[in-house]
Amino acid sequence: MSKVMDGYLYTEEHEWLLVEDNTVTIGITDFAQSSLGDIVFVELPEEGEELEAGNSFGVVESIKSVSDLYTPISGKVLEKNSTVEETPENLNEDPFGGWLVKIELADKDQLNSLMDAKSYTEFCENL
Amino acid sequence: MSTLKKTSLHQKHLDLKAKMVDFGGWEMPIQYKNLKEEVIAVRENAGVFDVSHMGEFHITGKDALNFIDFAVTNDIKAANDGKAIYSPLCDTDGKIIDDLIVYKISEQEIFVCVNAANIEKDYKALESIKAKFDCDLKNLSANYSLLALQGPKSFELLKSIVDEVQDIEYYSIQLLESVNDQKSFIARTGYTGEDGFEIFGSHEFIASLWDKLIAAGVEPCGLGSRDVLRLEVCFPLYGNELNQDITPLDAGLKWTVKMNKEDFVGKAALEDYSAKYQLIKLSLDKGIPRAGYEVENEMGQSIGIITSGTQSVVLKKGIALARVDKNLYQESKKLNINIRGKLYPAEINKKPFVTGGHK
Repeated sequence: MSKVMDGYLYTEEHEWLLVEDNTVTIGITDFAQSSLGDIVFVELPEEGEELEAGNSFGVVESIKSVSDLYTPISGKVLEKNSTVEETPENLNEDPFGGWLVKIELADKDQLNSLMDAKSYTEFCENL
Repeated sequence: MSTLKKTSLHQKHLDLKAKMVDFGGWEMPIQYKNLKEEVIAVRENAGVFDVSHMGEFHITGKDALNFIDFAVTNDIKAANDGKAIYSPLCDTDGKIIDDLIVYKISEQEIFVCVNAANIEKDYKALESIKAKFDCDLKNLSANYSLLALQGPKSFELLKSIVDEVQDIEYYSIQLLESVNDQKSFIARTGYTGEDGFEIFGSHEFIASLWDKLIAAGVEPCGLGSRDVLRLEVCFPLYGNELNQDITPLDAGLKWTVKMNKEDFVGKAALEDYSAKYQLIKLSLDKGIPRAGYEVENEMGQSIGIITSGTQSVVLKKGIALARVDKNLYQESKKLNINIRGKLYPAEINKKPFVTGGHK
């Protein structure tokens, strides 16, 4: 069983979102890190970049595979987690602690289609 | 419904909770618990791979040796009985149909181990040139299972289970007399660069050997770690480094083409051929090269592509093999790999990234 935390929102691409006012922090879920295996490389967008919902904003690579990171919301990158680029293996150990980017939320409605912890748990169980 | 083929060990992989994937029509374990640990187990201790999907041909009769020597580019006649010989199998244009290992039991009895995806193609190619030779060619792939036991502890482990096993030389074979249900043999060969054995036998024998190896603490290893291991020591993979659009001379396999031996399929074409491509070894300090990425020279001109790439477990950095245009490469001063539109400087390695410990 992978760990799912209450109070977060989740995407079908196995990312978590933490919403605090207009700032949204994005990371990958425990399920994601576990299916990827050893994470060895992370590429993130620079501060100030404008992201568009549904587009890829970076990649996470394990030894054998490349996975795109998708943002479900549009907005400007406020901050990226440089530590995770330097020590990507931390994502395996602590996927909720190892956030990727903070985005300035432009359109609150884009959060509506996301799953809460309960729905995401069910979603993972049915995969 | 799945129509994937299964090896005789399939249920054992599921019991070990392996992650299974479609590998050329076979449902195979790509990894068990952890790919990195599997790689380290093979480099430092021992790991076992189910490679029963690979094909086995049996050639017997008066002309068995003449036939296989004519079929492949390497010199099988020059090798002693009891040797294993790696060779490309080429078409009349000198293009690579497959790469394989020939096991020379005697002049009248030869086993050949071929890539799973190429079994039918290889068999047809061999069948088409067999008429003038007095020998039998049988595809025994369905009768054989195959394990690769790899790593520095392989010999002592195998010996502890099959007592008659001897400390044979690298690329040598030994028939197993104690296994009676079907001709079984071991070869000191493998695809990891480490010392180790490949063990050919009946499904029953191989299944019981697998169980004993796992019980002895040998790490079960999947195709994922196998690919990292072979790439770290720069062994080519058919479908990636090798294919039927190129000759062995384009892929660093000149040493396997023996122009001095008697006639063989592809000889005339290869005599007149000068290589268009070169296979090179690249490593990156940052970024991970993957198959299909472009290799560019200092002017931003593409000179070829990555054929295989991964993060090396041993070196902890990106490594790759690349097929590049020979002339453009020789004029290049600096190489970059284009990863998602960004250029990452590549270091050219003359030697394999990792030196395996094979004998």
